[in-house]
Amino acid sequence: MMRLLLVLIHISLVATQIWVSAHFRDEVEDNEFAEFEDFEDEDDKIVVEDIGQGRPLKPSGSNINNIIEENGEEEEEEDDGIVEDEDNEFDHFQDEEEFEGYDSDRLSPGNKVDDKEVPKITITKVPLHLRTNWDSFYLEMLMVAGLVVYFLNFFAGKSKNNKLANIWYSTHRTMLEENFSLVGDDGKMENESGGLMKESENMYMLWCSGRTCCEGMLVELKFIKRQDLVAVLAQLMRPAQDQIHVRVDMSKDDMDTFVFCIASKKTAARLAKDMADLSVYCPERRSGEKFGLPASFSLLSEMAEVSSAMLDSKVVSTITKYADLIDYIHFSDQFSGPKQPEDTTLTKLPDTKKALLFGFNVPVKGKSATEAMEHIRPLMQLVFYCMEKVKRYRMGKEAKNKADKNRLRVEEAFLKTTHAARAEAAAARREEKKRLEKERILQEDDPEKQRKWEEREMKRQMKKKAPKMKQLKVKAL
Amino acid sequence: MHNTNHSSDPRRPDKEHRYKLPINNMQASGEDLTPDYMNILGMIFSMCGLMMRLKWCAWVALYCSCISFANSRINDDTKQILSSFMLSISAVVMSYLQNPQPMTPPWASAIQ
Repeated sequence: MMRLLLVLIHISLVATQIWVSAHFRDEVEDNEFAEFEDFEDEDDKIVVEDIGQGRPLKPSGSNINNIIEENGEEEEEEDDGIVEDEDNEFDHFQDEEEFEGYDSDRLSPGNKVDDKEVPKITITKVPLHLRTNWDSFYLEMLMVAGLVVYFLNFFAGKSKNNKLANIWYSTHRTMLEENFSLVGDDGKMENESGGLMKESENMYMLWCSGRTCCEGMLVELKFIKRQDLVAVLAQLMRPAQDQIHVRVDMSKDDMDTFVFCIASKKTAARLAKDMADLSVYCPERRSGEKFGLPASFSLLSEMAEVSSAMLDSKVVSTITKYADLIDYIHFSDQFSGPKQPEDTTLTKLPDTKKALLFGFNVPVKGKSATEAMEHIRPLMQLVFYCMEKVKRYRMGKEAKNKADKNRLRVEEAFLKTTHAARAEAAAARREEKKRLEKERILQEDDPEKQRKWEEREMKRQMKKKAPKMKQLKVKAL
Repeated sequence: MHNTNHSSDPRRPDKEHRYKLPINNMQASGEDLTPDYMNILGMIFSMCGLMMRLKWCAWVALYCSCISFANSRINDDTKQILSSFMLSISAVVMSYLQNPQPMTPPWASAIQ
């Protein structure tokens, strides 16, 4: 809320500055003497104002004289009040009656008043000059103000994200400790920190390990980039959500061979395009309604048998209940992360592992952070339930055969596409080996050896050609 | 027997695996690249600010390095961020030392 206010203040500052600058520039750049005109105007105004207040000073301009004459009556009326108010030592100079009829006298008090007036003008002049000077640095001030706002937002957003992460950890800690013997590990030799790892100001990670049927579980808390004002503003245009990503690395024997994914429609489209395993094994995207899921979900599955087995009544009811909080659930025995870009030619299939991936949204809006984190606790239970379920589940014989065939087919297709590349690589390797051997032989100062090697090489070349002759012979027969 | 012992408690201290830092190539596409882009942009703007004496370029460079700093990862190289800050600040300072006149915005000519 406070941040939004800051942002608004900043925007309004920018707007007014631009508006003012536009007008300021109009005036200044139209006329090079604009500044001097300003001064003249200022003089006139001051005197006129003074007259308005009932101080008939000796004016310098002739036009002012006219004004005084015109306003004569008014002044007389106002005089009484002013005289009472002001205990200025020059009061008598300002008294109209004092000067009545004394034209000769009028000069000297007039001069004195002028003396008084001159410093007054210079006083107004100096700050005016200074002010315009500083005003012209308005863009610089704006830039510095922007930086200050940016850093205020940085600290506010950083502490908010930190608070959210800590609340998540404290609400889920007992559950995690009941399931894993190791909660919190930073991968260094000495496990010093424990608890959450901070990846950046908006990302926290937690590694848990030591549980049946899985090697480990990585929880990533991906919050909105609250620390970055630019991202906050971008988020006003395109709303984002705080997310929790869970990746469970399954043990080799505790998962059968299948690829299966349910995701909200938008995410499903993205995953189907980006994820290597989904794009290869699950080309078809179906609506979740057929399986009793809310209409906002899409289903990507390699085999129909798996989808019906995975979506039992408990899973379906949980998904229906938390439909807006579940982004995706992705089980795969061939998980290799996002697809490699097209232009990279690989000679080896990327390493795959058996993994369960979950993506949840955190409903921070309209709730206190603690409430929100309590609200998503059942989703973590869903993760554990799915782990047990996948561990127990075994596919039928037919489905298993089909899945194995699929994997074989993919591998063959891959080998085919890379055949040329691999053959080239092998040829290059052979060539290199030969070249090295030749160099070695030539470097030895033994003509006998060199001659022998050359002979051997010749024989090898002949041999290479020989089988072709034989084949020809066979064909001829 | 072994299994029944553990049936209620899923924990297996003997199966603990240590956390492995992800191999960079694998995760590269999933990573957030904002700090890198901002670093490069900041570098370009600093250079423009220094070479062509464009004050607004120098200021933009300073903003870029701020964004890069806010988005950086904990195990990123702090030297890089520091150097980008230094470069952009020096661009600002140098441009005002050379010409202490206030900055004219690039859109000033458009508004007239």
